[in-house]
Amino acid sequence: MWVVVVGVIGIIVYSEMCGRVAAVAERPVFDLVRERVGFGAGLGTLVASQIVNLMTCAAEVGGVAICLQLLSGLPYRLLIPLATLALVVASWALPFEWIERVFGYLGLGLLVFAVAAIKLHPNWGRVAHGFVPGHHVGGSLPVYLYFVVGLLGAAMTPYEVYFYSSGAVEDGWGLKELGLNKVTSMIGYGLGGFLSFSLMIVAGTLFLPQNIDPQFLGTPPLAAAHALGQVGLLLALVGILFAVGGAAIETCFSGAYNTAQFFGWRWGKREQPAAAPRFTLAWLVIFALAFLVVMTGYDPVKLTEYSVIFSVVALPLTYLPILLVANDRSYMGSKVNGRLANVLGVIYFVIILAVAVAAIPLMLLTNGGQG
Amino acid sequence: MSKPVEVDIALGILDHQLVDSDGVNCGKVDDLEVQGLAGGSPEVTEIIVGGNAWRSRGLLGRLAARLAGNAVHVPWSEVESVSSVVQLKRPAAELRLGRGDVRWARLVGKAPGA
Repeated sequence: MWVVVVGVIGIIVYSEMCGRVAAVAERPVFDLVRERVGFGAGLGTLVASQIVNLMTCAAEVGGVAICLQLLSGLPYRLLIPLATLALVVASWALPFEWIERVFGYLGLGLLVFAVAAIKLHPNWGRVAHGFVPGHHVGGSLPVYLYFVVGLLGAAMTPYEVYFYSSGAVEDGWGLKELGLNKVTSMIGYGLGGFLSFSLMIVAGTLFLPQNIDPQFLGTPPLAAAHALGQVGLLLALVGILFAVGGAAIETCFSGAYNTAQFFGWRWGKREQPAAAPRFTLAWLVIFALAFLVVMTGYDPVKLTEYSVIFSVVALPLTYLPILLVANDRSYMGSKVNGRLANVLGVIYFVIILAVAVAAIPLMLLTNGGQG
Repeated sequence: MSKPVEVDIALGILDHQLVDSDGVNCGKVDDLEVQGLAGGSPEVTEIIVGGNAWRSRGLLGRLAARLAGNAVHVPWSEVESVSSVVQLKRPAAELRLGRGDVRWARLVGKAPGA
């Protein structure tokens, strides 16, 4: 659990930074990547981040289909095209704020896990132990490290800053929004971390003692049902459905934002689809590709784990330009990084580099966490 | 340009966003044409955008250039100002920029609600 704390602080640090750059200099993250690392390395970062985004998006489309299956009982393979279609229609028809609101608020159904975590009366002493690094039960050290690296990589996955900064530019953030930026990044990612704890406590209290490995998306909602009955189950499923669906739209749009920003096209969900046609086509193509990936029947969660390889390129080359530009007075004027942002920014950049270097050896060494 | 500012060409201009006089994104500064290097008073004469301009931008750039069309050359005299973006004096269409968006807009415009 300490890993989640480390990861969440990291993503808050860099989101605040790129939100500030978006508000002051009106430049989204992939503009910065291209400006600071150039065409060649920038294109490499674009390709790598697109693969990570696509795999993540595919896993999320699969997740939406699983949720719909649990809710409706219809066959999974029929629900994949339905889920994709629903996401495309929502992205096409709903304005930017509505996508954020609908998926954001309904995703709050996940809070049911926090209630479940308390009602299950976990051993809080053992929970507290989880916040101390190095306490692990069972499994070898490399496997433990593999999951540490995986969790850190997931908490700091680059699409979050792509979407966050592009959204800030779309919302026309200016100097007035700098306070909002701080609050949003802290509360938003803090809430994400809090929900992760809830899920981990639920899993640890209910499933671990009975040797159930909650690796299926359908398993955690049963915990909500166990603690809170039918309403709990329903809230949990709706929460997962909208949280995962919203994330699918975010990853898909991140891919389109990045491509358009790298090549200098018109972009933005606020534009009419035909006013930013290549951007519009980009996100439609990404949804189509994600659909095809899910239809192949490969386990999307496994695919996401393998896409970690590409994060090795995408992570450092995404976060370094943010750190550099946030310190550049020609962009930022007096709003450059303060000492706290810089100290944390540099520490986390070193952590990101360590994660990037360690990811592949650990994956090979542990056979993808199997030990 | 109103007042003289000091800009690092590689850091402050190359790879930056081009914005036309209507505030519309219309490509990136993919390469720059510099003349007078031998004479001792070098001067940026052209911005080169898209396609072939990527050839000089590393291995991936050469690959990308093979898949793309001809570059568009924009004389430096068309530049209004340089901030975090390069602002142009005229609409993109007059400078033959942003044509990809115009071309694809016909297709996307056919969809309902576009």
